[in-house]
Amino acid sequence: MNVRWKYILKRAGQMVLTMWIISTILFFIFRLMPGNPLVAYIDPTFTQEQQQILMQQFGLDQPLWMQYVIFIKNLLRGQLGQSFFYKDSVVNVIFKVLPNTIYLMLSALIIAYFTGIVGGIFLAWKRGEKVETAGIIVTLFTRAAPQFWVGMILLAVFSFEFGIFPSGGVSQAGTSYASEFHKLLSLDFYRHLFLPALTLSIYLIGLPLLLMRSNMLDVMSESYVEMAEMRGLSKLRIMFKYAARNAFLPVITAMAVGIGYAMGGNVVIETVFSWPGLGRLLVNAVSTSDYPLAQGAFILIAGVMVFMNFLADIIYSLLDPRVNIESRR
Amino acid sequence: MRKKLAVFLSILMVFTFIVTFIGETGFAQEDDRVVEVSLITRPKSSSPDEFETMTILAEAMKNVGIDATVEVMPWEKMADVVWYDREAWQITGWQMTARPERLDPDEFTYNLFHSSTAETGYNFIGYKNPEYDKVAEQQRVTVDREKRRELIYKAQEIIAEDAAYIFAVHPMVNIVYNNEVFAADSIKEMAGLGVKNFWTYINAEPIGDQKDMILNSNDTVQSVNPLYISGTVDSWITELVWDRLMRMGQDGLPKPWAAESVEWLNDTSVEVVLKDDLKWHDGEDVTVEDVKFSFEVPKTGEAPMYKPFVDVIEDIEIVDDSTLVFNLKEPWAAFETASLAKVNIIPEHIWAPVIEDLKDKPENAESHQEEVPVGSGPFKFSNWKFSEEVVLTANEAYFQPPKIDNWIVRFIPNMEATLGMVQNGEINFLATYLGDSQLLEQRVESDPKLTMVSSVDLGFRFLAPNHRIKPFNDKAFRRATAALNDRNLITQLVWKGFAVPANSVVSPALEYWKNPDLNYPSGGFEQAREILEEAGYEWDDQGRLLYPEE
Repeated sequence: MNVRWKYILKRAGQMVLTMWIISTILFFIFRLMPGNPLVAYIDPTFTQEQQQILMQQFGLDQPLWMQYVIFIKNLLRGQLGQSFFYKDSVVNVIFKVLPNTIYLMLSALIIAYFTGIVGGIFLAWKRGEKVETAGIIVTLFTRAAPQFWVGMILLAVFSFEFGIFPSGGVSQAGTSYASEFHKLLSLDFYRHLFLPALTLSIYLIGLPLLLMRSNMLDVMSESYVEMAEMRGLSKLRIMFKYAARNAFLPVITAMAVGIGYAMGGNVVIETVFSWPGLGRLLVNAVSTSDYPLAQGAFILIAGVMVFMNFLADIIYSLLDPRVNIESRR
Repeated sequence: MRKKLAVFLSILMVFTFIVTFIGETGFAQEDDRVVEVSLITRPKSSSPDEFETMTILAEAMKNVGIDATVEVMPWEKMADVVWYDREAWQITGWQMTARPERLDPDEFTYNLFHSSTAETGYNFIGYKNPEYDKVAEQQRVTVDREKRRELIYKAQEIIAEDAAYIFAVHPMVNIVYNNEVFAADSIKEMAGLGVKNFWTYINAEPIGDQKDMILNSNDTVQSVNPLYISGTVDSWITELVWDRLMRMGQDGLPKPWAAESVEWLNDTSVEVVLKDDLKWHDGEDVTVEDVKFSFEVPKTGEAPMYKPFVDVIEDIEIVDDSTLVFNLKEPWAAFETASLAKVNIIPEHIWAPVIEDLKDKPENAESHQEEVPVGSGPFKFSNWKFSEEVVLTANEAYFQPPKIDNWIVRFIPNMEATLGMVQNGEINFLATYLGDSQLLEQRVESDPKLTMVSSVDLGFRFLAPNHRIKPFNDKAFRRATAALNDRNLITQLVWKGFAVPANSVVSPALEYWKNPDLNYPSGGFEQAREILEEAGYEWDDQGRLLYPEE
């Protein structure tokens, strides 16, 4: 037990170090990139006086090292600063769109991983048959197809041609929900969520499916599976009780890491479906040089990724008895 | 072996030296004189019309022997270079967008070309012409409209003669609406802005079951604040939630609106009589104190973006319960447009404590976001779904209440999807469309319930030459470039006919102010070669254009 806690502490320390390095890199990248936030204000009525006031407000009139020190101090206190353009705290702005990103991400991941795992088992079962070849081709196709193309096709067919699903947003024009909870209970929300989640899961399904299939094939050649076959157990039972349980460990860790990736990278889907999420917010923040917002959003995403990697390690060590924390010493 | 290698290397070195020196001395003199131009543009993916316009001009320049190259830069970098490094570029693409306050030519005439804004302000091309300065200063203080027009005409003449800008086009703004939802005659056109304007919003009459106007924008809203100019869509909203003493009419001239009457007592004093019975959305009365407060807040420094619009006001006297007098420091011809029709009337009972509180804080009023913004405009704030939509509800107590129930703007970044949406009813007013105008026209023609209205834009696209360095510091070269820039070709090829060639910062949409007789070069290659020859430019035997001998 002692050893495990030591391991966790060591990893936690590594995470803090990683986050510090990431934050520092982010800070300097934005300030060294061409472009500056004042560019958004360029206008015939924009006076020199206004420029100076703005520089002060943005904290850009101070030397770079000073800005960095202030940034780190605030970060340690959990403050990510104020968005240059929304004029609201970065945390507030991010949290307004974060739930939408989480709903989209989780629903797509769950659909993709569930279907992917079952699909992987099925293809492993049908090893050598034509179905397997077809299955692999289709899976590779889903992974290679650009998300905006898939999204636009789904929109054209299901939204504009047949009118089954709305083409954008989280809710219908003019409607409002009493709370986030009420939103999750409404059918209209799921109608809006369906197409973007489907598009994303089509893209994500490739990894769990092929990974699962590959692990199954490895496991199926193991001696204990051969033993089960010799004992006369049904193929179904062997597949699920013996093979799948062992094969899907790596897939779980992949899912944990996948959550990290999916957090901020959905700008394409968000644009195609006008989904108000973190991706678009981030891209806009970067292009308008809204440093605090862009930094804050990236740090959040990085934090989630680092944490999910850590979680994946822990989960794996708990689930797989072969992996022994002690043996890492 | 080594000896052979040594010999070979030394021959190579000698050969290299010879070639370099011949290259240097042989063509050196003529090389110095070759005219090289680098044209800056935004990328094709984000600004196809600017990119194509630049490419066409670069080709035309090459045909006259200029060593022209197109340099592509994303907007962020371009703005950085052009704005903050004013000696580092030769010519760039640029544009001025339409806004209601630009219906008065003052902003363009003065801020774009007056020498005082050349170092750090909007005269980024570095134009310095004392004759022009005088005209620009004079039109600003000439309150008599007829006399002022002569000055505006003169200003346009000078700019055209000097080819200060290389003009391209005034685009057409194309707005599509659903004619089964709105009565066609209730959709109002406004000079330079098309049908996407205040008058349409308050007059639009629903003729079917759908009582809401649902528009699209491709940008989100950053704040709903009468003291912060935070974006295009944000201004559509502030324009409706808060009222103003005057509004720009459909003809492009200011008219009294929340004010019953606006009268100039003399060149520097304006008497404003407020309408009776105006109410805030929270039920309180709108008073003359509120009006005075609204114009004084920007002077406190808590609303810096509005300061230029009230700077000229010396003081405001309250004469009685309905009357105020604005005393100006000096005459300002654009006062009605740039101030009375621009400043939002805000409730003192809500904002006074906020402003007081902000006095000893580093933030200013731009950071204050009301939970439920309160104005006295034709629409009340209803809801803001962050990054998704803003909903405004008709103010029944307004003196000219809107006929629609709700005004809803949805943020749709997917431009192609908006075409599908206006056809299936998810939106019924296509207010923003940045795609192919021809495609839009085709869609509209094939769908009887859609109507498209095309109007000449108030704004314009142009190429900005840098007057500080070669070659555009030479008037003759600028005029030659203007002649080379085939605006008709650009209109047909780049804009598919949905534009009007430009020769002035004043759009033809402003019939009153546009000077119809301008000496702006349009004679193509012949005229360009003529101008260059006369100015002493020469061509070498490779056909390259050379600067005149010093």
